[in-house]
Amino acid sequence: MAGAGLLFLVLGLGLIAWITGRARAAAFVKADRTNLNSLPSYHGWYMALFAVVPPLLFLAVWGAIVPALQTDMVLSAPAAQALPMDGFARASILSEARAIASGAQDTAFQPMAEQFVPLYRAAIAHYNWIAVAATVLLLFAGGTYAFTRLKPDFRARTKVERVVMGALLTASLIAIVTTIGIVASLIFETVRFFQMVNPIEFLFGATWNPQSTVTPGGDNGFGAIPLFWGTVFIGAIIAMIVAIPLGLMSAVYLTQYARPAVRKWMKPILEILAGVPTVVYGYFAALTIAPALRDFAAAVGIPGASSESALAAGVVMGVMIIPFVSSMADDSIAAVPNSMRDGSLAMGSTKSETIKKVLIPAALPGVVGGVLLAVSRAIGETMIVVMAAGLTANMTANPFASVTTVTVQIVQLLTGDQEFDSPKTLAAFALGLVLFIVTLLLNLVALRVVKRYREAYE
Amino acid sequence: MIDTTPRFTVDGTRTAPTNWDSPDMRKRIARRYAAERRFKYLGMGAVILSAAFLAFLLYVMIGNGLSGFQRTEVALDVDFPALTGGTGAAALTGPSAENTAASLDLPGVVSVAVEAQYGETEVPIFSSGAWQIVQKRLLEDPALIEARQTMWLPASSELDIAAKEGGSAQAERLLAALRAGDAVQTGFNSSFLTGSDATDPAQAGIWSAFKGSLMTMLVTVILAFPIGVLAALYLEEYAPKNRWTDLIEVSINNLAAVPSIIFGLLGLVVFLNWFNMPRSAAIVGGLTLALMTMPIIVIAGRNAIKSVPPSIREAALGIGASPIQVVFHHVLPLALPGILTGTIIGMARALGETAPLLLIGMRAFIPTPPGGLTDPSTVLPVQIYLWSDEVNRGFVEKTSAAIIVLLLFLLSMNALAIYLRNKFETRW
Repeated sequence: MAGAGLLFLVLGLGLIAWITGRARAAAFVKADRTNLNSLPSYHGWYMALFAVVPPLLFLAVWGAIVPALQTDMVLSAPAAQALPMDGFARASILSEARAIASGAQDTAFQPMAEQFVPLYRAAIAHYNWIAVAATVLLLFAGGTYAFTRLKPDFRARTKVERVVMGALLTASLIAIVTTIGIVASLIFETVRFFQMVNPIEFLFGATWNPQSTVTPGGDNGFGAIPLFWGTVFIGAIIAMIVAIPLGLMSAVYLTQYARPAVRKWMKPILEILAGVPTVVYGYFAALTIAPALRDFAAAVGIPGASSESALAAGVVMGVMIIPFVSSMADDSIAAVPNSMRDGSLAMGSTKSETIKKVLIPAALPGVVGGVLLAVSRAIGETMIVVMAAGLTANMTANPFASVTTVTVQIVQLLTGDQEFDSPKTLAAFALGLVLFIVTLLLNLVALRVVKRYREAYE
Repeated sequence: MIDTTPRFTVDGTRTAPTNWDSPDMRKRIARRYAAERRFKYLGMGAVILSAAFLAFLLYVMIGNGLSGFQRTEVALDVDFPALTGGTGAAALTGPSAENTAASLDLPGVVSVAVEAQYGETEVPIFSSGAWQIVQKRLLEDPALIEARQTMWLPASSELDIAAKEGGSAQAERLLAALRAGDAVQTGFNSSFLTGSDATDPAQAGIWSAFKGSLMTMLVTVILAFPIGVLAALYLEEYAPKNRWTDLIEVSINNLAAVPSIIFGLLGLVVFLNWFNMPRSAAIVGGLTLALMTMPIIVIAGRNAIKSVPPSIREAALGIGASPIQVVFHHVLPLALPGILTGTIIGMARALGETAPLLLIGMRAFIPTPPGGLTDPSTVLPVQIYLWSDEVNRGFVEKTSAAIIVLLLFLLSMNALAIYLRNKFETRW
C-alpha cells in the first residue's frame, strides 16, 4: 500500500529531523559555551514539526483529490471513447478497473473493465511518483527552513508549546464537531424525508406500514404514533416497573442495612448487570424469557399472546437498567445531610421509617433525575427490542402482545436495501432525529434537576 | 417501671404520660418493628432477585453454550491407496503439496469412503466440511496417505444435535446404530475457535468475527484514546471559563448519553455516504465506535486529572516548569492509571456494542477472516446477533458459546481495569 509506505517515510525522516535539530542545539552549547534559551530536545521537536506537518497536510488533501485526477488521466486515453455514455455503467466499469489495478480484486465481472486495468495501473504509478516527490520536497523545505532558524537564543520551546496547545484545543473541539455532525446528518436526511411525507402525518399518524412509493396527500403508512407508544410502553413503563423498585430497594439495602462485607461483594456483582452486552440480553430475552411468558399467557388464557412480547423485552431491559437506577439512588441518598438522618433516628423512628419518611423524600429530586436518565437510556436501547420485541406496529396495552419501537424500525429500515431517495430509508433518519431530541431533552432536564438538588444541600 | 412524670401538650393542658408497657403500645411497637423487618427483607429480596437474574442468565448461557465447544466425531475408514490412485507421501511435501491435495478430489474421496462403510443414510453422517479436515491432516502428516486409515471426523449438524440434546427420529436411529458400532466419540471443537462463519453450524466458527472485533477495537483505541486524553487535559487544565468551553462541556456530556444507534446513523450518513468509505469495513466501525467512546474517556480522564492535588502543579511551576511541562511531565503521569481504567471500561463497552455497527453494514456473511481494515468484516456481538436469527437449531449452542467467549473477554478487560486501579491508584 503506497499510502502507508509514504507515511512511514515521512515519520522516519521526521525522526531524523528531530535528531538533527537536537544535535544542532547541542553543538551550539559546545561551540559557544553559551546557555540555550530552550532545551535541545525542543529544538529537535521544532524541526521535526516543520518537517512532518506540511507533508502530512499535503497527503491528507492529496488522498481526497487523487482518485479524480487518476480517472481524468484514464479518460483522456483513446480507449475511453469506447465507454458507454450512461454515467452509472461508466462509473461501475471504472471502479472495477481501479479495484483490480490496486489489488483489491482479482478478476473482473465486466469484460470491459479488463482493458482499463493497465491504464489505471499507469495512472496510479504516475500520480504515486508525483506524491512521493512532492512529499519529500515539502519535507526537506520545511526541515531546512526550521534548521536555519535554530540559534542559541531561539525560543523553540514557546513555539513548540504553541503547537501542543493547538493540538489540545483541536482535540476538545472534536466533541463539538461530532455533535454538529450528528445534528447535521439527521436534519439533512429528515428534511429530504419531509419533502416527500407530510411531517404532520409522520408525527401524528396512527398507521405504520412504510412503503417505498408515496402518493401525495394520501395516507402512506408513515404514522409514527404506534412506534412512539411501543417505545414508551417498553422503555418507560414496563422497564421502569421492574427497574425502579428493584434498583431503589437494592440501593437502600446496600447503603443502609447490609454489612460492609456484603456491600463490598454485592455492589460489583449488581454492576455486572450493566456491563453485559445488550445483544446478550436480547438473546436471553428471545431464547428464554419470551417463550416462557408466551406459554404462561397461553396457560392463563390471555388473548393475543405472541412469542415476541413487549413484556419480555421490557423486563429484560428493566433488569439491565437496575444498576443504573441503583447507583443514582445511592448517590442521592448519600447526598442527604447526616443531620437529617440523625435527627429522625433521635426522635425514635426506626430505620425504615427514617428511610421512607426522611431520606427518600429528601433525595427524591435526585432519584427522579436518575429515573429520567434511566428512561432516556431505555428508549434508546436497541438490541434487546430488536431481538425480543417484534416488528408489527401495534397500539395495544396488552404486555403479552408484540409491539415495535423506534429503534427497531430504524434498524429494520436501514438493514435492507438502502435507497437514499426512497422515503422508506429516509424515514429512519426522521425517527433517529425524534429519538435524539427526546433523549437530549430528558438528559438536560434530568441533569438540571440533579444539579439544583445538589445545590440545595450544599 | 411506669414513667409518672407529667406531660404537657402544646396548648398547655396536662395529659397522662404514655404508658409504654400498655398492651396497645406494645402492639404498636411490635407492629413498627415488624414493618422494619419487612422493609429490610424487601431490600434484601431486591438484591437477591437482581443477583439471581444475573446468575440465571449466566446459567442459561453456559448451559447452552458449553456444548458448542464440543463436537461429535464419527470414525471413518478411508482406504487412501485405493481411492487416491496410490499417491505417495512425497507428492504431499514441498511447495506443490497444496496443489496435489487439491487434485486428489478429497470431497469425492470422503464421500466414496462414507458410501463404502455406511451406505446410504437418511441423514448425512458427516459435516460437509469433513474433507477439509482430512486435507489438513494429510498436509500435516503426508505418510497417512500410503495406508488405510481410521479417521475421526466431525459429524453433521443433525447428528451432533441428536448426540447432545436429542434430535429427529432418523438421526437418533442412526446415532444408536453408530454407537453400537463404537464409532462415535466427543472431541474438542477446535474449528469453532479457528473457523469462520458458515451456513452449516457444524463448520461455523468465530475467528473471523473475533479478528474483526480486534481490528475495530484497534482503530477505536488509536483514535479515541489520544483525542480523549488531550481533550480532557485541555478542559481540566487550560480551558478558560467562557461560553465556548461551556459548549464543549455540554456536548461531551450529551454525547456520552446519546443512544448508540444515533452514532450508527451518523456513521452511515457521514462516513459511508459523504466520504464514500467502504461498507462493512472495520475502519468505519472503528471510527464510529471511537466517536462513541471518546466522551467516556474524556469524562473518566477529567476525573482522574482532577484528583491530582494542586500542590504538585504548584511545586512544578515554582521550580520553573512551563504550564505545558507541568501537565505533561507531572500531572499526566500521575493521572494515567485513572485514565487507563476509564479507557478500558469504555473499550469494553465498545466491544459489546452491536446496534451502530448493524447500520454501517457490518452484518454481512463473512466466510473468510478480513485481511485488512478496509475489507468487509463483522464483529463478535454482530455475529452473535446473526446466529441468533438462524433457524437451524445447531446455531443455538454456537450463539451461546460465542456469548461465553465475549463475556470472558469483557470480564478479563474489567478485571484488568480493576487491577490497574488497585495497583497504581494513589490516594492523596
